[in-house]
Amino acid sequence: MEATDGQIAKETLELAFQISNMLETGLDRHTLSLLIALIDRGINPEPLSAVVRELSSPSSRTQPSFAFSSSAKP
Amino acid sequence: MDDTATVDLVRELVLRLLSSGGRSSTASNNSDAAVRYALRLLSSRMSPSVIPDELSLVESIKRRLAVSGRSSSALGFADLHSKLSARAPLLNRWALLYLLNSLSLDRHRPESSPAPGLPFLPLHLPHPPRTSASSIAGGMAGGGVFLVAKDPENIREIALREYADLFMEDNEVSESALVRDVLYACQGIDGRYVRFDRSTDGYDMPESLKVPKPTRSIVRRLCELGWLFRKVRGYISEGIVDRQFDIGTVGQAFCSSLQDELVDYYKLLTVLTSQSANPIPSAGSDSGGGAGNYLSLRRLAVWLAEPTVRMRLMAVLVDVCGELRGGAMAGAIHSHAQHGNPLVQEFMGRLLRRVCSPLFEMVRIWVLEGELEDVFAEFFILSQPVKAESLWREGYQIQSSMLPSFISPLLAQRILRTGKSINFLRVCCEDNGWVEASGEAVAHVGATTQRGGLGYGDTNALEALVVEAAKRIDRHLMDVIHKRYRFKDHCLAIKRYLLLGQGDFVKYLMDIVGPELSEPANTISSFQLAGLLETAIRASNAQYDDREILDRLKVRMMEHGDGDRGWDVFSLEYDARVPLDTVFTALNMKRYLKIFNFLWKLKRVEHALTGLWKTVKPNYINSCIFANESFGVKMQFVSVLRRLQVLWNEMNHFVTNFQYYIMFEVLEVSWAHFSDGMNSSKDLDDLLAAHDKYLYSILEKSLLGEGSQSINKTLFVLFDHILRFRSLADRWFEHIHELQHRRNKSKSKSKGELGKVGSLIDGGRKALLQFSRDFFGKMSEELDKVAKEYSAALHDFISQLPLQQHIDLKFLLFRLDFTEYYSRVSSNK
Repeated sequence: MEATDGQIAKETLELAFQISNMLETGLDRHTLSLLIALIDRGINPEPLSAVVRELSSPSSRTQPSFAFSSSAKP
Repeated sequence: MDDTATVDLVRELVLRLLSSGGRSSTASNNSDAAVRYALRLLSSRMSPSVIPDELSLVESIKRRLAVSGRSSSALGFADLHSKLSARAPLLNRWALLYLLNSLSLDRHRPESSPAPGLPFLPLHLPHPPRTSASSIAGGMAGGGVFLVAKDPENIREIALREYADLFMEDNEVSESALVRDVLYACQGIDGRYVRFDRSTDGYDMPESLKVPKPTRSIVRRLCELGWLFRKVRGYISEGIVDRQFDIGTVGQAFCSSLQDELVDYYKLLTVLTSQSANPIPSAGSDSGGGAGNYLSLRRLAVWLAEPTVRMRLMAVLVDVCGELRGGAMAGAIHSHAQHGNPLVQEFMGRLLRRVCSPLFEMVRIWVLEGELEDVFAEFFILSQPVKAESLWREGYQIQSSMLPSFISPLLAQRILRTGKSINFLRVCCEDNGWVEASGEAVAHVGATTQRGGLGYGDTNALEALVVEAAKRIDRHLMDVIHKRYRFKDHCLAIKRYLLLGQGDFVKYLMDIVGPELSEPANTISSFQLAGLLETAIRASNAQYDDREILDRLKVRMMEHGDGDRGWDVFSLEYDARVPLDTVFTALNMKRYLKIFNFLWKLKRVEHALTGLWKTVKPNYINSCIFANESFGVKMQFVSVLRRLQVLWNEMNHFVTNFQYYIMFEVLEVSWAHFSDGMNSSKDLDDLLAAHDKYLYSILEKSLLGEGSQSINKTLFVLFDHILRFRSLADRWFEHIHELQHRRNKSKSKSKGELGKVGSLIDGGRKALLQFSRDFFGKMSEELDKVAKEYSAALHDFISQLPLQQHIDLKFLLFRLDFTEYYSRVSSNK
């Protein structure tokens, strides 16, 4: 049933994309597919959303923090 | 944990995100750094704080959508979700939904405006130590300490917390401790931080205590109440303990009413103290006021506003009343009660009602029973122990320093008079009829005779009571004086006897007593005179008078020096007993005596002149004198006689007119006025005043007053001249009659016998001629002298008369000088 698997996956993605649009997250399909893949791999959604937030927001907030993080100690 | 596939995925995600973020192309090392960062994030095991419950998450999403007004989307979402769960049961739907939800929330968050008004946005805070507060929203402070700060609205909370910390740093002392201390200060107790400073005379916190300025000023303001309270309490304790016997009943009433006010104050303070146990919400927390009734400094200020006003009033009163007592204290407090503020008025009304109750009680008892219940000398009526006859005049007086200002002086006079009358009736008249009078007065007014019937606000009621009581008691007193003691009769008797109103009695008395009084004063015995007085009384109409009155009439011999004749020391006196001697005091009797002496002298002069007329009047007897003598002698005699008669006439004119003036213009007129005054007087004071006026007018008009001393002397000089003239004339006529007698005898003898007395007759005739010439010459000389002296004195008198003040003396002048003979003569001189 691979076709159905692919199909299932496609439909799932479609549905998820619709949900994401409804919630106005501003994600596109590709990013969403990556996120779903990562979630499937067992990564917690919380840090994932933090990553997405940090990296996708164009505000100046991320800029200094970006610099900050670069100079932060590990 | 990451295997390469994951890492690749992550890398790709990052690249996508970065490129889709719309940023300018970044360098590769940036993206590498981003990837590293992302990996780090992901490996940090950050886990959400909610239980992975899909259904509840779905529900919350749906709710959120519905609430934000997109209910169609909510329905659509529900539909999609059901499809998804049908399609991909293996998918970790919860995680996906959670991710999407958080992303959508985040997307929506920056759109809403940030919380307004926060002075501190963590973005701008450069303080390194404030690690807890800064850059918290991103949760990206280095070191990996993360707060679960999902919503940036925490900015407000953060700001508050920061403010609270600042605040805490400034204050060494907590606000609740300060509140407690202030409450202690308001009761006069020193607290831990707030103490009473004697040098500045106030409550204050020590300077060393680190407290912000506004707090310090609030605390100081609230402690003013403590200062006022100390003052009031000090006064009360002093009044009740130390000066217990000094301060008097009014002062004690004042202290006790202050204490009652303080009880209310204590109650308030207890309530406040219990409230202050509730914790004050700190500056940063947001309890919203629902956590019990806490008490902060500002709330305390609001609560204590009204008690401060009242305490200030009390402190002002305490200051004003410092050393005062009794009625003066009541008056001072009353003057402070004239205030527009209804709160103040009500407070003062309460206070004054209690303070004045002892005073009003004293007034009531005084007015209704005549008793003075004044142990501490607070009442405005003073009593002195005096004898019965001066009870009215000096026994009771008003002490105006103790008179409170709400009792007018007129009312005070009435009060004094009423009580005095009751005492007078009780002591002097031994009368108890005033009890009914008081009872009637009370019934009429409607006030009670119980204690406390009258209060401060009832000044009108008090006045009504006093007026009624005064009216009735006065009427009763007048009744007693007039009916039982027959005041009018006594006055009339005095007028008849002492003021020589009873003419026939006086004439008899003078006839009988006259010869006695010509002796030197020290040979006269008063018993004899008393006997003569009795005789005179019995001989005249006076015998029909009341025995009681006649008993009081006595003879009195005044002190005499050497050479005084009886005329100078003789006087009558009238014995007035209690209670009438209130009117006829010793001073008044002295005045009567003075008038009596004057009138007696005047009567004596008149008597002398009329006696003289008996001898010199031109009748047959006188015309027979020397009828048979030679013409020369007779002529001389007649001329001298004529001149004598003329002079007599002058003197008589003067004396008669003067007597008439005294009798009718002075005595009778004054008596008429006095009668009117007696009938119209409503109380004893009026009666006394009328009587005094009566006496005074008599004294003034008969030239016995102080202003008439010189003319009085002139008058007495005149009288002396007249009396001397009388005695002179008497002597002359004695001589003449003796001569006549001898002449006749010799004549008749000469007719009978010759020889022996013949030579005597012859010699006698010549001698007689010579003798008569000498005699008449001397007589005319003396007569001239007397006439001259007399007319000089009379001129003196008449010239001084217009200088007198009293208008009635002008009538005297008119009578004496109606032809202006004297004035013309004097102007011709």
